[in-house]
Amino acid sequence: MQLLLNGLIAGSLAALVAGGLALVYGVLGVFNLALGQIVLVGGYVTWWLYGVMGLPFVASIAGGIIAGGLVTWITFRLFVEPFYKRHRFLPIVTTIALSMILDGLILILFGESPKSIRLGGGIWHIAGARISVAQLGLILITILLLSVLAYTLHSTAIGRRIRAVVQHPHAVESFGVPAQRLHQLLFIMSGILASCGGIFLAIDQNLTPVLAFSITIKAYAAIIAGGKGNVWGAIVCAYAIALLEQGIVGIHWFNTFYVPAGFQGTVALAVIIIFLIIRPQGLFGSVARSA
Amino acid sequence: MAFFWHIIIIGSITLLPVLGFNVVFGRGKILYFGQEVFSLAAAYAVWVLVARFEWPLLAAIAVAAALVIVLSLFFAELSLRLEPDGLGVLTIAMHLMALTIVLNWQSVTRGALGISKIPRLWFPASPAVFAAMAILIAVVWVFLLWRIDRGKVGRALAALAEHPWHASALGINRRTLHTFAFLLAAIGSLGSGILFPAYILFLTHVNYDFPVLIFFITCIVAGGPGRVFGVTAATLALVFLREGLRFFALPYDLIGPVRLILFGLILFIAVWYRRDNLFPTRREI
Repeated sequence: MQLLLNGLIAGSLAALVAGGLALVYGVLGVFNLALGQIVLVGGYVTWWLYGVMGLPFVASIAGGIIAGGLVTWITFRLFVEPFYKRHRFLPIVTTIALSMILDGLILILFGESPKSIRLGGGIWHIAGARISVAQLGLILITILLLSVLAYTLHSTAIGRRIRAVVQHPHAVESFGVPAQRLHQLLFIMSGILASCGGIFLAIDQNLTPVLAFSITIKAYAAIIAGGKGNVWGAIVCAYAIALLEQGIVGIHWFNTFYVPAGFQGTVALAVIIIFLIIRPQGLFGSVARSA
Repeated sequence: MAFFWHIIIIGSITLLPVLGFNVVFGRGKILYFGQEVFSLAAAYAVWVLVARFEWPLLAAIAVAAALVIVLSLFFAELSLRLEPDGLGVLTIAMHLMALTIVLNWQSVTRGALGISKIPRLWFPASPAVFAAMAILIAVVWVFLLWRIDRGKVGRALAALAEHPWHASALGINRRTLHTFAFLLAAIGSLGSGILFPAYILFLTHVNYDFPVLIFFITCIVAGGPGRVFGVTAATLALVFLREGLRFFALPYDLIGPVRLILFGLILFIAVWYRRDNLFPTRREI
């Protein structure tokens, strides 16, 4: 039960990040490899506003989300928009460059030492497992945010426009839908969800600059394993990867050995790679022909 | 003078994996970012066996060569099965996995402490002789890759990158070419994995981390993807810049972040400059 809860907590962070990204990939077909740094920007700014400036918690969260959204908007305007129509792989390289720049800035502004936001609140016991009030809140907020995303996509006019842009961007433009503006909106939305993930990380664990790349890679592994562009596939796989990570280190295998905690990410990624060798199109994707 | 020899040696050693990577990423346009997996595997296989288990150097090199060949076959297979962007992300994932293994398998790799008892090679007794050996190896490597690039294989790789269906119709075998390209990339990293720790007499994961991979990408993009001499010149210039940064009067804790920002900006400017030919767009008659 404890492993399941741990997986749910880690999966909520990953799902938050991967869900928005899968939507961006479905529409634009681009990867943003500076995503992990945007997660950290959201977390660090919230930590700074709350822990250093002494602002109220809600205002600090709003500040973190605004900072993450702003960095994402700049990312889109400078590092994605001028490139993705020339070739959809170009933003992979430009966002790698951005990730280096942001890494450097984060190191200068916040240093290398771990930062975290510690909230009060008790510990609940559920079927013998322990979970803090903050963690429970984080899981519920993630479910709420993903439900809002689902409702927006499937039951609102803007959601129908987004799905239309995914299916046929040129046809949609001829109907007067501003596809370009929707692209920007989606990109910023993915950054806001990522920033929420960063705040989640600051509350539940610690923020360090070295986390960025592993967050990015796990989110994209979930997207690829889920069937690229499939939002729900990405969310399911994000939870699956987190459960796998927790399960692998928590089980006494064949009553003979434990997998050390340091290897949990490696084993989960290895499982994803093996899965993709067997099923390259991912869980919910379809096969593409190649030469 | 010591700095001059240092730059020569570092530049020559860096050329080996960068030019190997250039065959796959630059000429073949295969979106793969796993070059440092080869370097990590080669360097740790050779120097763990030599320094910690006291194997003879040649036997350790043979084991490392076998390891990088297996890895190159695996990468080639992945490149055939996965879509390009999926391959890009999963090869970064493999780099992350390799780093995690090195950091956590402390009984063998000594984790973050690194391996300090690298024995000095018997042949290059002084920095000047080491530099001469490194230059010789780099020149042979540049010439070999230039010949390959100008020959049938280079043309076939370019054709495959530009239009896989047409290339396939012309009888170009994708599997053979990808395997060959990844093998060249692996050989480059094997060379640097042997020489670099032998030069600094220390082996640490820091020298194979993501910023190093991004440095390689910067060299290729700045030099012109696929161009052997262009990438060679860019690598030497960027190595000079990277190593020369030490002489600026910056606080010690600022050098790393400033280097990251500077090379991020250089990569961005290089991509901006080469945005029309970094990845192939279909030519029309």
